[in-house]
Amino acid sequence: MIELDHVSRWYGQVIGLNDVSCEIGPGLTALLGMNGAGKSTLLRIVTGQIKPTTGAIRVYGIEPFANPEVYKKLGYCPEIDNFYEHYSGRQFVQFLARLAGFSLADAKRRTEAVLQEVGMADRADRKIAGYSKGMRQRIKLAQAMLHDPEIILLDEPLNGLDPVGRREFIEVLGQLAEQGKCIVVSSHILFEVEQMTRSILLLHRGRLLATGDLRVIRSLIDKHPHQVRIVTSDPRRAAELLVGLPNVLSLRFDRAGEALRLEVREPDTFYDSLASLVLNHELSVQEFTSPDNNLESVFKYLVDA
Amino acid sequence: MEAVVLSQALREYTRAKRVAPWLLLALGCLGLAVVWPSLMHGAKPEDQYASVSSILVFRILALASAIFTTAIVSQEVEQRTIVYLLTRPIERWRLLLFRYLASVAVVALLGIIAALLTSFGAYHGVAGNPLLANDLKAIIIGAFAYGGLFLLVSLLFNRSMIICLLFAFGWETSVPNMPGDLYHVSIFSYLQAIAQHPSAAGGKLIDFASGALSTNSITEGSAWTTLTLLTIITVAVSLWWFSHFEYVPREDAE
Repeated sequence: MIELDHVSRWYGQVIGLNDVSCEIGPGLTALLGMNGAGKSTLLRIVTGQIKPTTGAIRVYGIEPFANPEVYKKLGYCPEIDNFYEHYSGRQFVQFLARLAGFSLADAKRRTEAVLQEVGMADRADRKIAGYSKGMRQRIKLAQAMLHDPEIILLDEPLNGLDPVGRREFIEVLGQLAEQGKCIVVSSHILFEVEQMTRSILLLHRGRLLATGDLRVIRSLIDKHPHQVRIVTSDPRRAAELLVGLPNVLSLRFDRAGEALRLEVREPDTFYDSLASLVLNHELSVQEFTSPDNNLESVFKYLVDA
Repeated sequence: MEAVVLSQALREYTRAKRVAPWLLLALGCLGLAVVWPSLMHGAKPEDQYASVSSILVFRILALASAIFTTAIVSQEVEQRTIVYLLTRPIERWRLLLFRYLASVAVVALLGIIAALLTSFGAYHGVAGNPLLANDLKAIIIGAFAYGGLFLLVSLLFNRSMIICLLFAFGWETSVPNMPGDLYHVSIFSYLQAIAQHPSAAGGKLIDFASGALSTNSITEGSAWTTLTLLTIITVAVSLWWFSHFEYVPREDAE
């Protein structure tokens, strides 16, 4: 559905996207990367708002820049939080439905349907200026979905949504993906993405670092030593027990002597062993964190690799 | 879809908040036309109307065009709502053309209201005003010509509103008064040729304000031709440009 062939995009002296080649097909794909990684640039190229400096982009085999044929099949939820503030949510979505080519009656019907879908039907007559961040996100989602596109691109769509809204939204995306649509969701939060999909594109400083199944990437990372921090009321006893575990590579006390810092291999196995240890030896664990269990450490691992 | 673009743009441009200042200025035309005889003793209704029309009505036309035309694209880019328009299944040139037509309609309407109110001030009505018909024609072609020029400027330059306002206010006031043939590079000179206002006796200051210091030898026919060509060329280049170049908010493009 979407093909990028050695796509680069420069903004003056700064490179936004660096020689990215990939294909994105049906299903839900997460576009992962920290702020400034090039996620929005990639989405703007796919949505034909900007052109690649070098390389080629094809959406259904067509160049997307300013191409109405592509926009018939594509819905886009931008990251920006800007609207025609004096419009109501319903007016805004209906206007965009009319621009998508619907007759007035169909536009009204579609608007109602998508507003129901994003949970905004009962609040859509208020002016957008008075909306909360979550309501604005829902309206952006509604306008992206209203013409039932084959491809839906969502730039940081979960920003500002409350937990219930996130869950509902992830469910909606899952249903759309099951219908065979191509959904691309950009995010910089690994935790969010893990709840949605296992298919990822990982961008870092404009380069495509990894693409494919998140489990494969995570298992590669799991072979790499992980940092784990444990706060316990009895750190000496905990250290004595932990040092005997086969996955623990190193162990040290932090400065205050209240917490232990460990380096472990295969963290999943280690976490199972830790749970048994806590139960069998009645070890009191007050806090347990892994600074490596975030997107930054994934990048660090992949960049170092 | 064109009708949707046109009607949405018309609704947008005729919002009370947007047109209220221009309607107040139009009322200013009425006020100035009413008090003109006390400022210029012995002024006939024809002089009243012609002077106020040249000094205010055509200025309002140029200024309104600068403000409304730059809103077509620049404002959408600045408020970052352009993305919603550019990712719809409608050709960019159609989007631009119908938004341009909407802005021309509103600008022309504001100019016509100002001219009608000036006529009421000078003639206590419109029926006896022999200058009105030509003025209305000049206002309509002026709205197209200024609109085309400002549209192109707004697509080519950042902060285009400043350039357009300088042109509408500075250039269009001073250039028609310059010696030699320089008045040929002012749209206002061509509008004067179409309006065919009689030369009013009001002194140098009034002549300067109404752009009548220099002798305008442009004929009505050549004025129509020039302004029509200017409109066609600037609008055509704008449509091509908008279809081929990127329009994203500046912070996103850096």
